Amino acid sequence: MTDIPLARPERHVPVWAQGLIGQMLALLIALAGGAVIIWLVGESPLHVYEVLLRGALGSAENVAGSLLQATPIIVCGVAACVALRGGLFNIGVEGQLYVGGFAAAWVGFTLNLPAGLHVVVGLGAGMLAGALWIILPAIMRARFNANEVVSTILMNYVAVLLTSYLTIAVFKRPGGWSETAPIAQTAYLPQLMDGSRVNLGLIIGLALALGLYLFLRYTGAGYAVSTMGSNPKFAAYGGVRVKRNIVAVLLTSGAIGGLAGGIETLGVHRRFMEGFAPGFGFDGVIAALLANGNPLGVVVAALFFGALRKGSLLMEVETGASREIITVIQALIILCVSAQILIRRRGGISGEKRWKF
Amino acid sequence: MAADIAADFAIEMIGITKRFGPLTANRDVSFAVRKGEIHALVGENGAGKTTLMNVLFGMHLPDSGQIKVNGAQVEITSPQVAIGLGLGMVHQHFKLVPSLTVAENIFLGMEIVRGGLIDSASQVAAVRALSASSGLAVDPTRVVRDLSVGSEQRVEILKVLARGARIVILDEPTAVLTPQEGRDLFRTLRGFTDQGMTVILISHHLDEVLEVSDTVTVLRDGAVIGTEPAKGLTEARLAQMMVGRPVDFGRKRRDGTAGAPVLTLTRIHARDDRGLPALMDVSLTVHAGEIVAIAGVDGNGQTELAEVVAGLRGPSYGRMNLNGRDIAGAPADIVRGAGLAHVPADRLVRGVDVQASIMSNILMGRQDSSAFSKGGMIRWGRVRAEAAALIKRFDIRTQGPDASVKSLSGGNMQKVVLAREFSQGKQFLLIDQPTRGVDIGATEGIHDEIMRRRAEGVAILLISVQLDECMKLADRLLVMFQGCLVAELDPKTVTVNEIGLHMMGASHNRKASA
Ligand SMILES: Nc1ncnc2c1ncn2[C@@H]1O[C@H](COP(=O)(O)OP(=O)(O)OP(=O)(O)O)[C@@H](O)[C@H]1O
Ligand SMILES: [Mg+2]
Repeated sequence: MTDIPLARPERHVPVWAQGLIGQMLALLIALAGGAVIIWLVGESPLHVYEVLLRGALGSAENVAGSLLQATPIIVCGVAACVALRGGLFNIGVEGQLYVGGFAAAWVGFTLNLPAGLHVVVGLGAGMLAGALWIILPAIMRARFNANEVVSTILMNYVAVLLTSYLTIAVFKRPGGWSETAPIAQTAYLPQLMDGSRVNLGLIIGLALALGLYLFLRYTGAGYAVSTMGSNPKFAAYGGVRVKRNIVAVLLTSGAIGGLAGGIETLGVHRRFMEGFAPGFGFDGVIAALLANGNPLGVVVAALFFGALRKGSLLMEVETGASREIITVIQALIILCVSAQILIRRRGGISGEKRWKF
Repeated sequence: MAADIAADFAIEMIGITKRFGPLTANRDVSFAVRKGEIHALVGENGAGKTTLMNVLFGMHLPDSGQIKVNGAQVEITSPQVAIGLGLGMVHQHFKLVPSLTVAENIFLGMEIVRGGLIDSASQVAAVRALSASSGLAVDPTRVVRDLSVGSEQRVEILKVLARGARIVILDEPTAVLTPQEGRDLFRTLRGFTDQGMTVILISHHLDEVLEVSDTVTVLRDGAVIGTEPAKGLTEARLAQMMVGRPVDFGRKRRDGTAGAPVLTLTRIHARDDRGLPALMDVSLTVHAGEIVAIAGVDGNGQTELAEVVAGLRGPSYGRMNLNGRDIAGAPADIVRGAGLAHVPADRLVRGVDVQASIMSNILMGRQDSSAFSKGGMIRWGRVRAEAAALIKRFDIRTQGPDASVKSLSGGNMQKVVLAREFSQGKQFLLIDQPTRGVDIGATEGIHDEIMRRRAEGVAILLISVQLDECMKLADRLLVMFQGCLVAELDPKTVTVNEIGLHMMGASHNRKASA
């Protein structure tokens, strides 16, 4: 009898590495898809990507610009990540960013406070506004099990339109664009270096990400949250107050979303402008998904998206490719990541929800 | 001549070795199944039964070895290939989609299509026909979520048959079934083999293995110990082959001495998920140092009773008292604080987080206790030490505290839950189906643990569909039927038949008509 070995043993890759390889693959496919589209609009993909890279990292200034773009994405990413780890989707980060930004600006141009305190109160107001903005979806989810994805998305529209209305109809600076009066100097969020608007917000974002990582890993409350995220029935059985935690997690997520808005208005624009931060909230959500809910991974993903945004400015100047290419690449990333989750669910027992015993 | 013999076999697995990292789950296994027989595969938890069948079904690729199906050498690289070869597998853990109907589940991925749309009517009709010809009764239009486990089991088998399987693998099909449902299933399987089909059956119930199968293969530590005709084998002999030493079946019971009341339920009423009454006027007391068992056919309110007692479902009426504290409607953390430890029946839905490590699973419920946390920070070092100690004490077969629960075999997952709940020194233990999917050796161990807890003065409420388990362990035996406690029996004198009658509602009906 001839023995024909089926010599194709599965290789054993650690779980974290499997995740990383998967995400990298998603990225590559997305970039390849982007290349095809660039080629279709009649540009050379290689050239466009080269300009993109140069625009993002080509000089110290460009690097600073990328960091500036990445800052709100990091903070929004942490906001989305908090919810994600608790098994919840806060797609409303964008809305929380808007109301948070407006609240912080209002504190900035209305109140009269000493330097440091003014910033703290401004950011605090931003967080409060963000938390308030998600309170309804949070309660509806905890009480009636209403899908928070839908409710938080709906709140986004209200937030954008409401802040627009307040800016144009109530607080508009006479003679100016659709923007409020500038904030007092005492409310400026300190900048990290001369010649760039990169500000303390970057440090805050990094600290939040690290803090969240440590919280989830080392504290009892973090354990409760992440267990609730992976198996809510198990958490409830073990004595975790799931409903209470749902509200707490979503409010925290909303507050961080609001903080992102406060950082943008106090650190970058120094007033509230209509449409001041397009898509940062959504980018944050995508960053959290791409990072698979790992807060440190969120930072990496956000830096990448920030660089894309910065690089796209130069790309638009030097090539015929439009900035929307970036949106296409991000959309492809989402597609690949979701496909990957589906594939992972299919194989093995990991994705099964029900057990015989 | 040699060709003749080969043609006799439906399945031949030759020299199969399968490793997971450093662990060898199957070691040079040779396993042959004759056409038209029921071939049982037995062995301890973690012996490698599921792994071997997963290899056969193309879910894992073996590191070495070869497989022949109906005498022809094949390379089974995916379940699709296996299905193409006429194999079908009902997995140890359900793989149905809860939100779809029975017919939709059965035709999932091979829908009957007409004009680009799924032809539901034809699918339903096809399921009816299949159901009639196989003797597996199901309603094709029901949503799977609402089915009992027994019906879910039948759907799984129909799904396999609908794919044209001639060789059917069943991984612990009876673990969740009541003895009656189990007997019905075996009659169906006999029907299959009468039609020339072949059945491979994994089970921990040695009595049913001997009753139903033609041939038995025993695995131990990933290797084949022997293949023998079922006729002439005894349970004791099988157990010895499985464990490697004589097993003391120890069916003798010991009695507890009841102390003060620990848990009291007074006139408890509760509703199920659909809002229908599930518990009616349930009153019971469990004393320190006694085991009260609740017997009954699955689905007569036991689930709701356990949830109410564990603080996972609020009663609609009635009082509950645990260790002198009023716990009616209190959440799980309060009930646990009052002295509850709980082994849930749907343990892999509720009892573990399969993605997380054993260590992390051991911590659950104690993440805020001073033993494992200080100033809000978890002392992972202590958790690890505790997990390592429990792995040893409960003989959990694993690579260590960091291994994920999903890498464990079914029975070993179960031991993780037991280890966590038994080791907390609580005064009240709620135990729901403690030995589902657990091998005989480990079952003895678990029974000993339960009796040891009782000797320490712990009050124990045991819910089980296994009558012999109830009769062996209980000091008092209550029977549940349609949400009511219909009888209290003395397990020392009662017969199985008598319990069975109560379970079918005999006493209930008498009471109602009186
Ligand atoms: N995917 C996997 N990764 C790592 N180890 C695994 C994996 N699947 C199984 N194992 C290990 O292989 C061994 C055999 O597991 P298997 O599931 O085949 O046991 P079993 O005989 O079916 O046990 P049970 O009766 O408890 O279901 C166990 O030690 C288990 O921990
Ligand atoms: Mg198994």
